[in-house]
Amino acid sequence: MLVKFVLLQKRLLKKYGFLMMLCLAPLLAVGVGRLSKEPAGIAAIALYVPEGDETAKEVAGRLLQKESVFVYLPCEDEKAARKLVETGEADAAWIFPEDMEERIEELSEKRRVRPVVTVVERQDSVPLVLGREVLSAAIYPTFSYGVYEGYVRGELEMEDIPDETLRATYESVAVRGSLFRMVYPDEMPGETEDFTYVQAPLRGILAIWFTFVGLAAALYFMQDEERGVYSRVPAPKRLLASYGSAAVFLLDAAIVLLFSCKLAGVFTRWSRELVSCAVFAACVLAFANLLRLLCRTPRKLGMLFLPLGAVMLALCPVFLNLQHFRAGKLLLPPWYYLQSIHNTRYLYEMAVYTVILVLVSSVVWRVQSRRV
Amino acid sequence: MRQIPAYFLAQMKRAMRILPGQLAVNLAVCALAATFACLLIAQGVSEAGGARYRIGMVGDLSDSYLGFGIAALQDMDDSRFMIELVGMSEQEAENAFLRGDIYAIVRVPEGFLESIVYGENDRYVTYTATQGQKGLGTMVMGEITDIASTLVTSSQSAIYAMQRVLADQGRGEEIGRETDKLNLSLINLVLSRVEFGEVEVLGYADGLSLELYYICGMFLLFLLLSGLLNSALFVRKGTALPGFLKARGVGAFWQVTGEYLAYFCLVLTGFFCLCGFVFLGMEKGLVKVPEWEGMGATPFWGLLRALIPVAAMFAALQFFLYETAEGIVNGVLVQFICGIGMGYLSGYFYPSAFFPEKMRTVGEALPTGVAARFAQAGALGEIPAGAFAAVCGWLALFLVLSVAVRKGRMK
Repeated sequence: MLVKFVLLQKRLLKKYGFLMMLCLAPLLAVGVGRLSKEPAGIAAIALYVPEGDETAKEVAGRLLQKESVFVYLPCEDEKAARKLVETGEADAAWIFPEDMEERIEELSEKRRVRPVVTVVERQDSVPLVLGREVLSAAIYPTFSYGVYEGYVRGELEMEDIPDETLRATYESVAVRGSLFRMVYPDEMPGETEDFTYVQAPLRGILAIWFTFVGLAAALYFMQDEERGVYSRVPAPKRLLASYGSAAVFLLDAAIVLLFSCKLAGVFTRWSRELVSCAVFAACVLAFANLLRLLCRTPRKLGMLFLPLGAVMLALCPVFLNLQHFRAGKLLLPPWYYLQSIHNTRYLYEMAVYTVILVLVSSVVWRVQSRRV
Repeated sequence: MRQIPAYFLAQMKRAMRILPGQLAVNLAVCALAATFACLLIAQGVSEAGGARYRIGMVGDLSDSYLGFGIAALQDMDDSRFMIELVGMSEQEAENAFLRGDIYAIVRVPEGFLESIVYGENDRYVTYTATQGQKGLGTMVMGEITDIASTLVTSSQSAIYAMQRVLADQGRGEEIGRETDKLNLSLINLVLSRVEFGEVEVLGYADGLSLELYYICGMFLLFLLLSGLLNSALFVRKGTALPGFLKARGVGAFWQVTGEYLAYFCLVLTGFFCLCGFVFLGMEKGLVKVPEWEGMGATPFWGLLRALIPVAAMFAALQFFLYETAEGIVNGVLVQFICGIGMGYLSGYFYPSAFFPEKMRTVGEALPTGVAARFAQAGALGEIPAGAFAAVCGWLALFLVLSVAVRKGRMK
């Protein structure tokens, strides 16, 4: 058995086309992984902050120091910021006024919200609506401090308290840090994984590619069968031979998958990655073999690739995460794999699905063998 | 020389043999895409009158402050048009999350309000917005929670500071009344926070509307991946036949030309099939493009004309990949990874504006990027000569490379 496995492996690795195909996945992973390190965002915001205004600088600091889904382009003057929007280099410009400090002070004393920053947009869009919320949240800490100051002096009639005392009191009780934490279903905090949304789809792309490797392996076995490579294998063992043949492909591809995830920056823990990848490989093996039995000819199997690829791209959480069509998702091995990284429930479900696929394959194979 | 047209005809016959199956699959793919689109549109319509994203709230929500906060969000804040907060038990929330009925689970820990009231802030509201690894949606949700957190903690700081000042001045008995007053003022200010920005919309269109951008993307992706469907044409491709043909006077150039033209015809058939579906959708009013409103079918035919050179270029790319990959099995896999990889870099899945500058530059230089620019210009009815030259350049390059590979193989 091992000898056959090694021989088949040798045969595959001698083909430069196969090696080239294996190399393309890590190449894509490393390429996107490296390119994604540069600043990027769902919208580019040109930012004009007047030099002399401390409040404007403080608000801009809050925007620029935080990791964000927006990218900020600091500008020297208002004209430059507007030009970036007009030429399409920025989606919006946030122009802070020269007297921002006074305006915020005045508004916070009156406890009123009125326009402070000029927001110039090319056209209204969902990312820019979110952007305006981000801007408001950056202004709000300064504003709420002003409200407190005004309240103490005005409503509480404590006009004699010096500014320094008010500031020191505020600082002594100020609440810092976020009240929210993102966690995965396995309780792992979201911030433990450090990758951007540009890298995020790579695991999904690789998972679909891996499924295609399984399907291609089934195609390869069919071609070999037609050429008579397995003519000496007794009919009852033919199903086993097909699993063995595809397993050779998938072993190489599994190594490439793990390696590519590492290069892409979406790798988690070795133990979890290995277990998920192993069960995923078994699931793809069974899935591809069942499709091979159902399609019966290489041509029919080949024709299935495009629709299957389209369905996997639409239903698996690669680029978008549709809330519905669960019945369709349950049939796709990459869907289980992508969910299993942070939820063991899907790992078990994937294992059960694999057993079902193997059982159905055996029944289909028996029925087909009897007909022949 | 007489062998050359004969070889081309033979290739066309091969293509015609797989055409019915290919046509059936194309129709199935289009029907599938149409079903998805209709279901999504139907879902959008049914949700238009109500909330868009349902979020399951788990934990003790009985506290009056928390209850008030949730009620304020649901009744007064702008976010009510996008988010619906639903109180649930842990089990109900998990089941709903698995079924896809809710977008995220937000868990409020026991003693959270006390922790805020006493300024400890050592308990966190946790949220789970994805079953798998985080993606763009989860990251945007992170931005939203940061905003919420800033609004809460800044208001909280102002109130504590005011309380401390009153206590320091020996006016402790006023704390309760003044806290309520300041609290109400701050809530009002939080609810009108978006007014900090004076919005000025210039009204410049960024090339294409989202609808037209995705229609172009769908056509391009379909053409790019059609190599997967047409793999049957490359079954049983050995090295003996090219040598034999060369001996009969059909050299590498004519072999590649004949096979490529037959392959291109197959790609075009699939493309027209998709066009038929989109046209039908436009006729029925299911597909609406703002730029084309009131212009009839003319701009659509303009887009189709623009896509034909793109189809020719993608067909040449696919032909070259099959030629290089040595066999159909490797060919299919190379087609997939190259198609998806290049498509991703060139903005077929996410708008390329979301990517870093260098990545955008790489994506634009790739054949997929050149095709996207060409098709988008075609959709607006103006194709620059440079874009046309770039498409022709890539087309010629792929054909020349295919001939070179074939020559190498024959040697």
